[in-house]
Amino acid sequence: MKLLAFERRWLRAIFEAILPSNADDQLSLGVADVPIDRFVDDVLEHAPGQFKAGLRASLWVVALSPLFVIGRFKTFDRLDARARSEVLRCLAQSDIYLVREQPLLFKMVACLGYGGMPAVQRQIGIHPTDSSPPDWAREPERE
Amino acid sequence: MSGELVEFGAVSEPVEDIADVVIIGSGAAGATAGRVLTEAGIDVIIVEEGPHVPTEKLTSDMYTSFKWLWRDMGLQVGQGRAFTPILQGRCVGGTTVINGAIMHRMPKRIFDHWCEERGEGGVLRYEELERIWDQLDLELSVGTAPEDTLGRNNTLMRRGVEGLGLRGNSIRRNVKDCQGSAHCNQGCPTGRKQSMNNTYVPLAIERGARVYATCKAERFIVEGGRARGVVGRFLHPLTHEPGPTLTARARHAVVVAASAIQTPVLLHDNHIGRTSGLVGERLQCHPGAGVVGVFDDPVDMWFGANQGYESTHFWDERMKFESVAMPLEFGAARLPEVGPELMHRLGEYGHLAIWGVQVRARAHGSVRRNLFGRRSIRYDMNDGDIQLLKLGIKRLTEMMFESGAREVLPGVHGLPERISTVDEIEPIFGLTDDPRRFHCIASHMFGTAVMGLGRNNSVVDPRLEAHDLPDLYVTDSSVFPTNMGVNPQHSVCAVSWLAAEGIADRLAGR
Repeated sequence: MKLLAFERRWLRAIFEAILPSNADDQLSLGVADVPIDRFVDDVLEHAPGQFKAGLRASLWVVALSPLFVIGRFKTFDRLDARARSEVLRCLAQSDIYLVREQPLLFKMVACLGYGGMPAVQRQIGIHPTDSSPPDWAREPERE
Repeated sequence: MSGELVEFGAVSEPVEDIADVVIIGSGAAGATAGRVLTEAGIDVIIVEEGPHVPTEKLTSDMYTSFKWLWRDMGLQVGQGRAFTPILQGRCVGGTTVINGAIMHRMPKRIFDHWCEERGEGGVLRYEELERIWDQLDLELSVGTAPEDTLGRNNTLMRRGVEGLGLRGNSIRRNVKDCQGSAHCNQGCPTGRKQSMNNTYVPLAIERGARVYATCKAERFIVEGGRARGVVGRFLHPLTHEPGPTLTARARHAVVVAASAIQTPVLLHDNHIGRTSGLVGERLQCHPGAGVVGVFDDPVDMWFGANQGYESTHFWDERMKFESVAMPLEFGAARLPEVGPELMHRLGEYGHLAIWGVQVRARAHGSVRRNLFGRRSIRYDMNDGDIQLLKLGIKRLTEMMFESGAREVLPGVHGLPERISTVDEIEPIFGLTDDPRRFHCIASHMFGTAVMGLGRNNSVVDPRLEAHDLPDLYVTDSSVFPTNMGVNPQHSVCAVSWLAAEGIADRLAGR
């Protein structure tokens, strides 16, 4: 399954809202500072079909949710950083189970890629067992 | 004579092989059966759906581990009112490769309960299991982690448990000279964990067993009304692209040890156990939830035994508490915040401790094929189980504060995201008994091909031979009539060992 260009933009915006760069003195690296696109490609290539379909459906729900959550007629990626955080917080605190699972799903995926990067682990104080990034994070070799 | 390990990519033509016994699955049950049968000089084939990942190829990042070692990339869920992740391995060594290496003997009271209710007593004699547990302890280096590699996540829990006057202990694990790398869930990077891929599988190969990995068992071969092998297909470990077939013939018996999730599907597809109507039914497990504590001093969960300390003080009340050091990738997703607040929290990840409660739930679920032919797991805790979970979360919170936590993140919808006194957890009892309020995971599955005396109320007999198909044995936790309230790895090994001894005796004409 491949995401369309605008879906990928939505996904990046959600990830960056969850794990922003330069938001903490100790942990300056955000998800935008790791090769998260390659991670997403890898997940979309290998994850079970049901999960991929669910991820895409959730993407649409979150992307279009600003209207219903904060009354703004914009897609998620067109909001400023503060409004994006507010939308995710509102969704996460919803009384509707399936709604509050949406941000959790993206957090789970984003953290899975982000937290596996040795550079991130080093900033947190973890001494990574592997000094080099995981396979999915490496530049594809050119022919 | 040494055997071999064959995987997808190494074969381009259909493979045919024959042995005395064919074993399906290479986890705790399958590998142990392989160990016992090959010791008796019996020729064995092991068929394993997942790939073989040697220790030197294991990586520390959780995602790569999910891809290569975990079933459905760690995304297998039980569906009910809530989605409950169901954690299992899918590789040579099975779940033993990615579990916390906890070795617990089956409580005698659970065994007695089975005997009273279901009349087990044929193959299962408790004194025999004890003999095997002693042997397993020796062979798999079962013991507690040395104090210097226990790690603060464990010693803090000990402080909390002892401070409250509760009973607790360092966990007995099958790890030899643990280095405290806290990578049990990614596959031990130092090979210290005595998981089946490092112990009984290579031992069986050394004694001549052939292991066909990345090969999914699909159909039993039945001749003269008896199980005489299995037909499977090699699959690419990541893309599942189909490869050649495997025809593994058995001169004497087939052992199914594919787990309480996969075994009933295989039995169902082969029309085994239909008389009882119990194949895939009566699924039980140990649902659990974690609580995060924030401490002023460093905890550094990334050093120490993943799961090194436990309390069984409330076992009679169907609760068990364990430390659960989570890799960053897991732990980060469990935190309640997003955005800058999450980054601040992650910046102090080294000050977080995570402990969990597992509940001996009474609820039953099922494993079936759905309308589209896919495996479907239904599972929901019942109200009583949820009330226990609440009590467990409260007790974890008490332990956290007792051990010096500054804040606790209970992770329950309807409660504050963070609390700073024990009293603030009390409102949990005013919440509805709804599983959707909690972030639970389920591990340790049981009961989907239950053993018993009669073919109307069980799938296999007390020797673990299928009522419906002679020479077909099921030796994994599918046959356990109930859950146990403790981690099952040790008991699964012992029960499979005992069944394998029975098969060996039978083949020897004893």
